[in-house]
Amino acid sequence: MIVDGKHYFCCNGCQGVFHLLRDEGLISFYDKAGTTTLTPPTQQYEDSSNFNSSTFYDKFVKTNSDGFCEASLIIEGIHCSACVWLNEKALHKMEGVIDANINFTNNKAIVVWADNVVKLSAIIDMIRAIGYNAFPYDASIQEAKANKERKDYYLRMAVAIFGSMNIMWIAVAQYAGYFSGITQDIKTMLNIAEGILATPVLFYSGWIFFKSAYYGMKTKVVNMDILVATGALSTYLYSIYITIMHVGEAYFDSVSMIITFVLIGKFLEILSKKNAIDALDIIGNNFPSIVNILQGNKIISCKLSDVLVGDVVVVSSGEKVLLDGEIIKGNGSFDESNLTGENEPIYKSKGDSVVSGTTSIDADIHFRATKDFAHSTLSNLVALLDTAINKKPKIQQMANKLSESFSSVILSFSVITFFIWWLWPHTFEVSFMVAISVIVIACPCALALATPVATLVGLSLGAKRGILFKEAAQLETMAKVDTLVLDKTGTITMGKPEVVKEHIYEEFDIKLLYSLVKSSNHPVAKGVFKFLTQNKEKLDEVIFDDFVQVPACGITATFEDKKFFGGNFKLMQENNITIEFSSDNTLFYFAFNGKVVAIYELSDKIKEDAKQVVESLVKRGIKTIMLTGDNRFSAKKVADEVGISEFMYEQTPKDKANFIDTLHKKGKTVVMVGDGVNDILALASADIGIVMGSGSDIAIDVSDVILLNNSLKSLEDAFKISRTTYSLIKQNLAISLLYNAITIPLAMGGFVIPLVSAISMSVSSLLVVGNSMRIRYKWNKG
Amino acid sequence: MDNWIVFMMLGASIILGSIALFAFLWALKSGQFDDEEKFLNAVKFDGEEELNDAVKQEEKKKRLKKRL
Repeated sequence: MIVDGKHYFCCNGCQGVFHLLRDEGLISFYDKAGTTTLTPPTQQYEDSSNFNSSTFYDKFVKTNSDGFCEASLIIEGIHCSACVWLNEKALHKMEGVIDANINFTNNKAIVVWADNVVKLSAIIDMIRAIGYNAFPYDASIQEAKANKERKDYYLRMAVAIFGSMNIMWIAVAQYAGYFSGITQDIKTMLNIAEGILATPVLFYSGWIFFKSAYYGMKTKVVNMDILVATGALSTYLYSIYITIMHVGEAYFDSVSMIITFVLIGKFLEILSKKNAIDALDIIGNNFPSIVNILQGNKIISCKLSDVLVGDVVVVSSGEKVLLDGEIIKGNGSFDESNLTGENEPIYKSKGDSVVSGTTSIDADIHFRATKDFAHSTLSNLVALLDTAINKKPKIQQMANKLSESFSSVILSFSVITFFIWWLWPHTFEVSFMVAISVIVIACPCALALATPVATLVGLSLGAKRGILFKEAAQLETMAKVDTLVLDKTGTITMGKPEVVKEHIYEEFDIKLLYSLVKSSNHPVAKGVFKFLTQNKEKLDEVIFDDFVQVPACGITATFEDKKFFGGNFKLMQENNITIEFSSDNTLFYFAFNGKVVAIYELSDKIKEDAKQVVESLVKRGIKTIMLTGDNRFSAKKVADEVGISEFMYEQTPKDKANFIDTLHKKGKTVVMVGDGVNDILALASADIGIVMGSGSDIAIDVSDVILLNNSLKSLEDAFKISRTTYSLIKQNLAISLLYNAITIPLAMGGFVIPLVSAISMSVSSLLVVGNSMRIRYKWNKG
Repeated sequence: MDNWIVFMMLGASIILGSIALFAFLWALKSGQFDDEEKFLNAVKFDGEEELNDAVKQEEKKKRLKKRL
């Protein structure tokens, strides 16, 4: 605890933020935050100066109409409205910042600044200084479009709901008059009032239906919007005719209700799309690719696309290799699991080739680029993606299919009704009214709501369990899946080696081993580090006098004149330490005084719930197959342990995609689950691609479903949810069709009065919504 | 009850209603409801200080625009 005058702080970080806020005059933040506990700002960030590079500005910074710079940021660490207030105020106080607007719901911010006064790095530094973090994201055209669309729907819905509600209270007078008598004058007056209110609803709110009906007719598809548009428009014209001629009943209330209900259904679809986009931006967090190249004796940063064949590229440990090339200086281990699926790091030295898409674990190297970015392995894979995506079979959604034939049937029914009534001598007005009432009563309100309400319930069930569907329609496709293809590394297994066994031969100070493995990037050292932090106590760090990472071997360090070794068999051999121990697993030795004191056995552990999930999916009748880039031995070991009978090994990314294509040819509907770059082609060609949230950016881009918590349990949930939703859609469609089967003959017989049609329309919609909610309760209980 | 009373009441209520509707549409268009959470919390952070801040921000924008 730190005491500073009257104030008490848990750490220096909090104290620092307090002083900063006091100097800026923003101290009222603490009152505004109330009893919210704030997270201490202890995290260290890398240098922010690369935010000022031209590559970065090219990608993320736009110039707005006033000539100021504008960028979209995602702010991390916001948990209450006081945080939003603080960030906005702190930025506003900066000289040069024109505007900062933070959205509390999705933590996205738009910042506008004058670039000749302040730089983006200074703005991000300020946000970090007050204890938050910010990173820019590409506010894609997709997002801007989704936002605009949503706002547009809001406006149209506001008008539609206003119109419908006001027409409803006027209609109460109409209906009362229908039963107890009403003078024609009053009736006309009420009709005019309704007509005035219905006009903007039909032509402003309903405009999207007219537009879509027009495109539908152009492409000769009878879609539901044609039914809505013709139904509403003819009812509207007929009602005007009635109002002028002072005979019969006007149907303005039906006009506005049809538009309003169907509009709400469409809006729900858009809403679910927008939520998915928000969640994706937050896990994205990807920076533009900057490469360091050697020019003369200086290292300069440049754009990936500017690197020429023959340039010398510098890669330090922990960085991604973005180009193909040949090592000319340095050596070390590379993680190629992203491309090959193989877990073991690969040791490379001068003369070996490096491949784009891999990551350096402990290697500091210079390599000569042998291909430019456009021809690199990584770009080739991405180019292949386009073909894979085009090959994706389109499963037509049931609701669309149904509504198409439904619309044509109803329209022809209405025409037939009109002619039958007219030829069976009735006046034009009566026959037209009956024909209209067929369209009104069959109004696809319930049908339009059936799918969106059900999918919305499904999507929100998924979101609560960390399952993100990019498109609502994928729920339906997924329900029809009969084959599941799983990647091994990172999907069935953890993807990182973990300690499975510990052998201690001699007592030693655990602190030393802890400090030794802590600063290493190597996955084995990380695995041991994780094991120690989870299983041991009193882990303090000691400062070594001398600390050397030996590439592809391990670590050596000196402490109080004793030499410590931590690493693999090779390191022990080189230092003349004898070992009599062997195992199938990867081994980590810890030695000092020329003796091994501890051995850790590590292996890529299978995820806890893998076996049980596979079992339950097989029980549901889903054929499960495993694909891996790994060798036969490790593939069989994992497959046996999880209970998968069919598996393919040593698969290249292309092989995986081809395998999925052959499954398609056999008429299967396939789900592919993966995480790495080596899976992207397969993910894109499968009917549904599911990716782990920890997967690579490209994999997340091409997939349809994202499992945010990386667990296989959510895969099972995804199947369950999609099947529940699908049965829900079917039920809803059945309800609305059954309802129409009863009411349409009544309408054709001329038995339907306006009141009945209005009430039955609402009841059928309520039934559909109520049915969807029922499933939600069932799920929450179970 | 004369017909004109019904007429007047209908007319007045529709006009009043439309005024409210247009105000709502304006607010929607100007982005006041883009963030529902922030909108609800805005009441808590509303005062003299905020007004001053907004004015200062406007002045700053004008000043910086001249320097561009």
